Amino acid sequence: MSQTPMFEIENLHVSIEDKEILKGINLVVNPGEIHALMGPNGSGKSTLAYVIAGHPSYEVTEGSIRYFGEDILELSPDERAQKGLFLAFQYPTVIPGVSMANFLRMAVKNVRDARAEEIVANGGTAEPFTPREFRKLMREKMSMLKMDDSFATRYLNEGFSGGEKKRAEILQMALLEPRLAVLDETDSGLDIDALKTVSEGVNELMNPEMGILLITHYQRLLNHIKPQYVHIVMDGRIVRQGGPELAHELEAKGYENIRAELAAAS
Amino acid sequence: MEATLTAAEAATGFSRESVEALSAAKQEPTWVRDARLAAWATYESLPFPQRTDEEWRRTDIRGLKLDRLTPFAGLSGEAPSPESVLAGFRDGGISDESARAGVNIQSDASAILTDVHADLAGQGVIFTDLGTAMAEHGDLVRKYFMTEAVPASFGKFEALHAALWQSGSFLYVPKGVSVELPFRSFAVASAPESSIFTHTLVVLEEGAEAFVVDAFGSETQENQALASTIVELNLGKGSQLRYVQVQDWGRHAWNFMTERAILGNDATLNSLHVTLGSKFTKNSIGSHLRGQNALAEMLGIFFADGDQFFDNHTWQLHEAPYATSDLEFKGALKDNARSVYSGLIKVEEGAQKTDAYQQNRNLVLSRTARADTIPNLEIRANDVRCTHGATVSQVVPEHVFYLQARGIPYTEAQKLIVEGFFRPVIDRIPVEEIQGFLESAIARKVGI
Repeated sequence: MSQTPMFEIENLHVSIEDKEILKGINLVVNPGEIHALMGPNGSGKSTLAYVIAGHPSYEVTEGSIRYFGEDILELSPDERAQKGLFLAFQYPTVIPGVSMANFLRMAVKNVRDARAEEIVANGGTAEPFTPREFRKLMREKMSMLKMDDSFATRYLNEGFSGGEKKRAEILQMALLEPRLAVLDETDSGLDIDALKTVSEGVNELMNPEMGILLITHYQRLLNHIKPQYVHIVMDGRIVRQGGPELAHELEAKGYENIRAELAAAS
Repeated sequence: MEATLTAAEAATGFSRESVEALSAAKQEPTWVRDARLAAWATYESLPFPQRTDEEWRRTDIRGLKLDRLTPFAGLSGEAPSPESVLAGFRDGGISDESARAGVNIQSDASAILTDVHADLAGQGVIFTDLGTAMAEHGDLVRKYFMTEAVPASFGKFEALHAALWQSGSFLYVPKGVSVELPFRSFAVASAPESSIFTHTLVVLEEGAEAFVVDAFGSETQENQALASTIVELNLGKGSQLRYVQVQDWGRHAWNFMTERAILGNDATLNSLHVTLGSKFTKNSIGSHLRGQNALAEMLGIFFADGDQFFDNHTWQLHEAPYATSDLEFKGALKDNARSVYSGLIKVEEGAQKTDAYQQNRNLVLSRTARADTIPNLEIRANDVRCTHGATVSQVVPEHVFYLQARGIPYTEAQKLIVEGFFRPVIDRIPVEEIQGFLESAIARKVGI
């Protein structure tokens, strides 16, 4: 039985300024699955995250990314987000003068409107999303992530601590309800309490309809968010795949030993 | 709508005869006519600004063809109804009714509506069109009209204005009277290939408080037109004035605006200039801090698109000790638009303990738009604090990407970023109506 996967990366080659970063990535994520993508610095992990989200600086030279069977490489970043793709940024950007509440309202409105349009196009009915519902939803999710009310009135990521920025990313994920979430080094810069809050938030948001791709350097995050699949990426290729035990092996051996083993085997 | 030309208007061209014809048509007191004629002589004696003049170095007026324009129009014939004028501004986001202390409308060269709340008139407040003010309150107006804040000899265009001003508004608030609701003046121009001259004269006596909103606009026409505005703000001891000017002339207009405020002891001015319209704008905006502890907050927002050219020249003139000026002008530019900002903080000898701040920031949204910024200090006292900052920056692509990655389309992302850029200034104006107007004006300019 072959079913169209929810999310499928096939033989993906990506360059930036003529330098090839990804050299043939293959990856499938289906609903209910959590995948961890681990690798040393400079292996291409964040490039993959950006390419999935549609960053304009990267050039896909070969291969495809399909989402429910549709090639998304020609879609703009906002169209991808509206279809249910989400990237939690490693370094969320600061945008002066734009309040969290205003930004979130616009993001949620655009994503919800697109979703409603699709439902209506398929013959269903969709209720309009009211500002009142938005405020209620925002309060709910903020309290889940232990965020202070004043957060909403602050400017986007301005003056946020590392932990606050990551929490704000997960808040956006909570409000946008993506089908595929890519979390890029969400654990970096977090102390242990913040890591716990953020992980609990992600675990609470995870559902059988959704897939998660966790990008991380360390095993640490995987103690809190448990993947079924682990992929090791080095020099732009996935070099090993396995279950959760692979992450432990990696933690014990380190990237250099894995690299040496692979070299010896080839 | 095309206004019919009267015999006076038919005396085309800017000339002494046209000055006489205008004055006669308005049946003005002799002193008014004499002042006009004296100003005309001054105009003739002054050279046009040259690009060798520092203030005009980046500002080219060679495209202005005065000889193709009539100096005034619309003295008779069909004028738009006040209701239609107000509705036009309301659509643009400037509200008019209910929330106002008084209203005054100028259409081309004529005053078509003037009204002030009866209670205020009872307290001695005068708010009327300038022509009526000259006829009915001659001594009072004469003392302030183009004598000190902006005298006729100020420059070529100011002299022309003194000779050919058409209408505008006069506000007088007596000692100790405080008016919360705004006095609203509107000026609209519809006659083709003509000129509108509008003048705002405000006099606040000791301890008086007022809020004035000037809004200027016209539909874009094919051939050029002239708009000339002078604003004179006189703030007596301890008085407080909030002044907002929204300029949205059609894209055919060559706009020259000169404003000076004179602040007495403990007076507070909060001004905001919003520049959206015209093909060409030259704003000269200054505050004379003449009294101790005076405070001038001078804010500016401009957004240029297409081939618009905006020049903002600001003056913070510290003439007394212990005064504060705080200026923030922010501009966005797209398409092929150009802007020049130049600002001077001038601290006179003896103006010790001056606290002056000047900031100009520009956000350039296209490769072909350009902003120049030239801050300047001239300090003749030794115990002062003067700071200034100027930047020209572009939209950061990572900001746009971040917003798009959250489902926000490109144009809306631009709008959020531009609005965020202006936000600090918008937040400094504690008037909801103006904040709302600015937000919608920014959205329109971005293209939503």
